[in-house]
Amino acid sequence: MENGKNRKYTEAPIKVLLAKPAIDGHDRGIFVLARAFRDAGMDVIYAGLLPTPEEVVDTAINEDVDVIALSLLNGAHLTAFKNVIDIMNKKGVHDIAVVGGGIIPDEDKPALEKMGITGNFGPGTPLKIIIDHIKKRAREIRKLRENEYR
Amino acid sequence: MNIDNLIEGILNGDNRSIARAISLVENSDPVSRERIIKGIYSVGNAKVIGITGPPGVGKSTIIGNIAPMLSDYGKVSILAVDPASPFSGGSIMGNRIRMQKSLSRKGIFMRSTSNRLYNGGLSEYSWDIVKILEASGSDFIILETVGSGQSDIDIMNIADITCVILAPGLGDEIQALKSGIMEIGDVFVVNKIDREGSYIAIKDIRETLNLSNKIKTPVIGINSIDIENYDKFLDYIVSWNKKNYREKYVRKLRQIVLEEIYNKYAYYIDNMDYTEDTLKRDPYTTAEIIIDSMNKIIDKSTYK
Repeated sequence: MENGKNRKYTEAPIKVLLAKPAIDGHDRGIFVLARAFRDAGMDVIYAGLLPTPEEVVDTAINEDVDVIALSLLNGAHLTAFKNVIDIMNKKGVHDIAVVGGGIIPDEDKPALEKMGITGNFGPGTPLKIIIDHIKKRAREIRKLRENEYR
Repeated sequence: MNIDNLIEGILNGDNRSIARAISLVENSDPVSRERIIKGIYSVGNAKVIGITGPPGVGKSTIIGNIAPMLSDYGKVSILAVDPASPFSGGSIMGNRIRMQKSLSRKGIFMRSTSNRLYNGGLSEYSWDIVKILEASGSDFIILETVGSGQSDIDIMNIADITCVILAPGLGDEIQALKSGIMEIGDVFVVNKIDREGSYIAIKDIRETLNLSNKIKTPVIGINSIDIENYDKFLDYIVSWNKKNYREKYVRKLRQIVLEEIYNKYAYYIDNMDYTEDTLKRDPYTTAEIIIDSMNKIIDKSTYK
């Protein structure tokens, strides 16, 4: 990012919030992702261990992130991810993309996609696929927001 | 939501509008930045508390402890700056982890920004962001710098009160004598006083301050684990009533003008023909040539 150049909103670094919105301490994967996203030129915020869904949404609003990346490895994704989506809907937040990941069985994926949580990558997914997916979602969100101000 | 609605939202203290306005200021073109700042400039009267110090001394932890205490005296907002990666431009912002619990409980607005490789301990648009937070009705704005080195002293020009956080074991009295960050504090806080050598650290700083005629500047030893001595620190912050209007204004003015000038010349620098002859000439002469030729154009077009 050079000084003095006129930047466009769509070209600014993508802002991602990484969160594990339930009782789950397996944070190795999310650290790997945090570093990978940073090396891909994104601004990464990690919500820390054991945040409540309210805290996750609060953080996402305050930081004005483009993408919330949720990760759970304890099998509570159908309830915990849904809590986050419900709170977002209640607060009227529709311009933040939500992606998921963790130990998610194939049969749960359609239910998650129906809520608007895409990706749902499991262990062993190449980092490049995840980064590309985040970039794609962020681009959609940026487009949506760009139109609001013109 | 267009910018007028956004400004209205900021003035009403709506978190989503504040957050979006900050993003626009950080990321967008100068036009929307200018419009936002023009719309809100005259509103607000906040005390800006600068927190600076080397990495790992406990700046974020102290903020996490002191922000809920401060919120008994008025509305608190927090802006934290974290360093960007010089290789990818990305960043990992971890300040929030240390304070999230207290923030959610009290409904405190907190924003972390990447410094986007800007030197001096803050980001390029920290002034604008502080202004937005001020207009949103905050009484206190806590501004945390990146873990700073000896020369990251931008904070003194933005903050009304600069708190330098230190820890035991960072150096001897020669280190305390040096210029830079050891001169800018309005209050010095030594965190982790349960550690060995904390009294020597306090003594060294105290002696240096006495030598440089700052006998009234307090040195407070605190311990963030059992919240020891926080009341002294809090009292000092709350009772501080010096404002820093002029410095803030001058600094921002200088930045805006420099940016304008740079934008004018940047086109030439980027599009010049770098032939053998140019590279043989020393850069001082080349700079003079660019400035001279630009001055002629400016004389003709804008000012006459």
